[in-house]
This record gives sequence, C-alpha cells and structure tokens, in this order.
Amino acid sequence: MARAVTPARKTVNTAAAWIVALIIFFPILWTILTSFKPEPVAVASPPVFLNFDWSFDNYRTVIQQRGYGQFFWNSVVIAFGSTILGMIIAIPAAWAMAFVHGPRTKDLLMWMLSTKMMPAAGVLVPIYLIAVYFKMLDTQILLTVVLMLMNLPIIIWMLYTYFREIPVDILEAARMDGATLFNEIVYVLTPMAVPGIASTLLLNVILAWNESFWTLNLTAFNAAPLTKFIAGFSSPQGLFYAKLSAASVMAFLPILILGWFSQKQLVRGLTFGAVK
Amino acid sequence: MIDRLQQWLPRLVLAPSFIVILLFVYGFIAYTGVLSFTDSKMLASYDFVGFENYAKLFGLTNWKTALVNLAIFATLYIVICSVVGLLIAILLDQKIRAEGLLRPIYLYPMALSFIVTGTAWKWFLDPGIGLENIMHLWGWDSFSFTWIKDRDFAIYTLVIAAVWQSSGFVMAMFLAGLRGVDNEIIRAAQIDGATGIRIYTRIIVPMMRPVFLSAFVVLMHLAIKVYDLVIAMTGGGPGRATEMPATFMYSYTFTRNQMGIGATSAVIMLMMIFAIVVPYVYSELSRGGRR
Repeated sequence: MARAVTPARKTVNTAAAWIVALIIFFPILWTILTSFKPEPVAVASPPVFLNFDWSFDNYRTVIQQRGYGQFFWNSVVIAFGSTILGMIIAIPAAWAMAFVHGPRTKDLLMWMLSTKMMPAAGVLVPIYLIAVYFKMLDTQILLTVVLMLMNLPIIIWMLYTYFREIPVDILEAARMDGATLFNEIVYVLTPMAVPGIASTLLLNVILAWNESFWTLNLTAFNAAPLTKFIAGFSSPQGLFYAKLSAASVMAFLPILILGWFSQKQLVRGLTFGAVK
Repeated sequence: MIDRLQQWLPRLVLAPSFIVILLFVYGFIAYTGVLSFTDSKMLASYDFVGFENYAKLFGLTNWKTALVNLAIFATLYIVICSVVGLLIAILLDQKIRAEGLLRPIYLYPMALSFIVTGTAWKWFLDPGIGLENIMHLWGWDSFSFTWIKDRDFAIYTLVIAAVWQSSGFVMAMFLAGLRGVDNEIIRAAQIDGATGIRIYTRIIVPMMRPVFLSAFVVLMHLAIKVYDLVIAMTGGGPGRATEMPATFMYSYTFTRNQMGIGATSAVIMLMMIFAIVVPYVYSELSRGGRR
C-alpha cells in the first residue's frame, strides 16, 4: 500500500520500525550481554549495560562443568537424525503426490497436515508405554523416531509444495527422450528439487532442535538435548543467571544463524502454507 | 509388468507415510481414548470404569483452573498477537528502508524454543533482576513489576512471553496478506479520494479475512498445546496458579500416577483441537476445490 511516500515520512516509518525491532530484540540482546558478565554483575543493581569486564568465563564453566557437550551432541543427533529419517520416508511420498496427482491427493495432504496440529499430549501415554515396554526411555533412537513421527506430515507437505513448483513439461520431455523412471528421478528431478529439499531439511532441523514437549518428557540424561539442559537450569538452585544466559546463547545461536537463512521457509512451514 | 509397476508405484511409496501417520497419530489417539475409560493409575490397566474419569476430571479444582487459565491465555494471546502483528505488518508495508534486514529480527523470537523464551522471560521479569532493575537504573525508582510471583497475575506474564514469541510470525502472515491485495483496487480507492487509514480499515483489512482465519487457527492450536513455556517460566506456579491443560495432563499422568485422569484430560484437549481444525480443514478443502 501507500504507493507514494515522501522521503521524510519514509524516514519516520523506518525509525519506528527499527524501534519496534529493538524492543523485540531486546530480551535476546540482554541474554547475550548477560552471558559475558561475571555472575555478580549479571544481577547487579543498577544493571550494567556494556561497561563491564567482558569474559568467556561463563561459557567455559558451562562447557566444562555442566556437560554441555553431551547435550549439544544429543541435540545434533536427534535433530538431524529425525529430519533425515523423515526425508527418506517423505521424499517418495511427496514425489508421488506431486507428480501423480489423483482426485484425493489434496484431501490426503490436508489430512496429514492436520495431524501436526494435534496436541502431543494426546499420544504421549501410548508412546511412553511402548518406550517403557521396549526399555527405550532416554535413548537417542526413541527421540529420533518420535520427532520424526511428529514432523513427518510437515516434511511431506513442504516437499510436496516445492515439488509442485517443478514444471511437469520437463519430465514429459525427459520421458519422450526415453528416460527411465530411475533416470528421471536421478538426473532430472533431483537437481531441480535440491533447493526445496534443502529448505525442508533446514526448517525441520530447527523444529526438531526446538522441540521440548517430547524431549522434556521422554529423556532424563543420556539422550537429553539442549532444551532439557536449559530447563534444568530453571529449577531454583541459587543464582547463576549469567551461566544460564551463556547456556541459552549456546542453545539458540545455531538457530539464529540457521534462521537468518531460512526465514521464508520458517514462516511457510509454521503457517501450514497460509503464507508462501 | 513395468507398466503395472509404474501404475502402482505412487501408491506403494505413499503407503509408508500413510500407515505411519494413521497408526501413530490416530492409532495412539484411539489408545489414549481407551485408557480414558479405564482405572489406569501408575501402569495401564484395562478395567473399564465407563465415564467415571470424565466425571472426576470435571470435579477437580486443578482442571477447572487449567480451563480458566486456558481461556484467559488463549483470548489475550490471540487478540494481542493479531493486533500487534497487524500493526507491525502495516508499518513494514510502508516502504521501509532495509526491510529485508528487519524482517528476520521480528521473526527471531519464533525461531527460538519456548524453553529458551520462557527461561529468558522468567529472569527478565524477575523482580530485582531484569526489567524492574533496568527501570530503576533509568530513574523510575517506584517502578514495580512482580506479576510473575503473584498468583493473580502470573498468567499474564505467560501472555507477555507468548505474544513476544509469536507476534512477529503473525506479522509475517499479515504482511504476505497485505502484499497479496490487488494494487488496482487500492489505486481505484485512492482516485475516489480515500485516505490511507480508510483504505486500510475499509478495504484491505476486510479483504484479509482468510489470513485472519489462518492466524486464528494457528494461534489457537498453539494456545491449547502450550506446555514448555509454562514449564520454563512458572512451572505451573505460583501454587497451581498457571496450570494449563497440557501441564495438568502431564502431572496427573506421571507425577500423581493417575493415568486414567491424565488420558481423559488429553481426550478433552484433542476434542478442543478437533473443534477448531476440522472446520478449518474442511473450509480449506472446499476453497481448494473451487480453484
């Protein structure tokens, strides 16, 4: 809207937008700043903004004393493991739906997607009971499989929307030239689908990385990822605000970086396609 | 032979996903439903007790608290997120400089885990450490903000954190909606002498009805599912003042060993979600059909 905007007006609007952005970003900024403060400075009254002795001590303490490495590794394994596992199941399915469009494809897709909205609480007890039965509580495998199940609908759906954007004419041309199904998939489809697959991968790694309902409830220590690590800090055992901040920063920094590159996919995936 | 394979292949490759979703979502939901009619305590039991758990559930003060909290939380969360999201979207739609740089900042909160958000806000709103302290620094000595420790107000701190987390994302939905409005219509309105605000209130916002609907469904289902934010921020406290259906479900199933009651509360949550999602999916499908 507002096709013609005077330069002065534009400056005012831009300033307003930046102020809003600053307010939104402030808690994140505050956490990052706090993570570099010595513990007493972090809770000092009045608070200190920038003029303190910056140090990485909190990071060092968190990594060395609180076993950050193990939590981080679990997060990596679970987030990437569940996403890749999901992709293996979802790619053929999305391919089939995108290129062999049947009358019920759209219904099936919506049905799959709607399951993503179901509360996890509705399936927690059965999954918990099965995990107990197979003695799989607090294992990476369990978390990987469960998070794969939870994100499968969204993986299929995202892949589907990307695959749909590939022009079918190209496939027909390839078939005319005598390409087999295998060749068609490997040489024609895959190169064109790589960007979509990459975006889907990225979004789902973020989703799985952030997931906390399942990680809080199905892990104790061995398979506990970073979300559990942060949650462990929130139990009231004295003051370690600065260390908690350092731990939080280490948990969300990968996401902030990934998020920068995948903001569009993030919105698209999270809104169930309402926004492309 | 090859031809037949070609024909069946799509169904064949679709089958695993279909079966997995059917079994693990609907199968397990059905199982939860079955458990809700049994007297399961710490372990699953299959002694059926009819609707006893349902009767018990709605007699529990904690469950009533959870429902009231959900109502307060969902209403404020949805309304404030929509208003803030729409306003920011309109602001960003005014040909802002460096918009590409700004958008990710608005979206960042959504990319964080609710656990991180909750923990950060818990400390930020803690009297004596975060916000209160900052206000004192800036000379506002009488500033006091103790909501998070207050039984009557703790629920509103959850709303603050949740709104902070989601409004950027609602903004993104609305922004896409705004950008989708036909320029011709706006130009026609401008020729007719409509001013900026009138164009928004009378033409653009009404045209964005589908976006409002999508935003409502997404926010509503997030509200019903809210769990990690509560755990990280208030742990359901002070007392049980910020109990939500999901935290109730967890504590009855695992801490209090009342699996039957826990399963029952999960069924009620599912019914709430169904009540929102089913009509939405239905309307989306019929809209798709017309296209």
